[in-house]
Amino acid sequence: MRVKLAALGFGAAFGFLISWGQFTDPDRIRQMLLLEDPYLYLMMFSAIAVAFLGARVLRRRRVHALVTGELISQQAARPEPRHVAGAAIFGLGWAIADSCPAPIAGQLAQGVLWSLFTIAGVLLGILGYFRWQERSAKEPAREPEHVAGRLLGDEVPDPV
Amino acid sequence: MEDFFLHRPAWYVIGVSIGFVVLGLLATINQRIGVLGGYSNLLERATDRTPSLGWKAFFLFGVLGGSLVFRLLAGHSTVHNGYGWLTRTFHDHQTIVVGAFLLGAGTLIGFGAKLAGGCTSGNGLGACSAGSPAGFTATGTFIAVGIGASFVIKGLIS
Repeated sequence: MRVKLAALGFGAAFGFLISWGQFTDPDRIRQMLLLEDPYLYLMMFSAIAVAFLGARVLRRRRVHALVTGELISQQAARPEPRHVAGAAIFGLGWAIADSCPAPIAGQLAQGVLWSLFTIAGVLLGILGYFRWQERSAKEPAREPEHVAGRLLGDEVPDPV
Repeated sequence: MEDFFLHRPAWYVIGVSIGFVVLGLLATINQRIGVLGGYSNLLERATDRTPSLGWKAFFLFGVLGGSLVFRLLAGHSTVHNGYGWLTRTFHDHQTIVVGAFLLGAGTLIGFGAKLAGGCTSGNGLGACSAGSPAGFTATGTFIAVGIGASFVIKGLIS
């Protein structure tokens, strides 16, 4: 339960910050993607820099996680075709909706009812992925050139 | 108070704070940030693919709660007058057309992010801050495609 409470707290901080940074406003995302406003790029890159440096310090000092007691570790996966294909599909949806999973949750909490359509779509997309994966797992072994099977066959631990 | 929250602070204030959120998850529960996993976890629970909700669903509940607190403190939503380019472009039958676009875009977002192993938070913040080459590849790809597709949309509607 302490793990879930920690996640709830950090999620609340994250939701508040993305709302305050106006990441939840589709016009802000559009300005970002049309290269009219560098704010969200700078925000994202500074967040990555802080987390990257902090994580290096934690790993180097062999710190244990406060709640779980585990030795802090991070997995770095090799790029695979699925990362490019998936990110391209995601990027197209991102440009149309000018939003992504965290901001649409923020929009819903702020009473923006349009987000219900986007959230329904996200759930449909995830369900489609599950069904595709389950169908691929049931199929007999494919020839090596079968791209979809290869994409799913060498799955790495999924952070999402 | 309302005015204070209606203006976004300098990028480094939000950026550094979000960096500490990413770091906080790692330092307390040894996990990589990711929001799509929360939706995925809820769906897995609803379809009996998993027996219980995990930390990712609670992280998503937190995002909802934190955004609600912001909305109450700010007094207004951060989304004004419709929904971006979609409601400005499609005036007639607005709900059906805009709703269909958002449903379709959401499907691409959900499927694509699952395939790529993360969304803007999971790959962009989590995997990149872990120094993962796959995270950098996915982040570079979705930013490039997002920029390209936005310019195409701009060209089509203008």
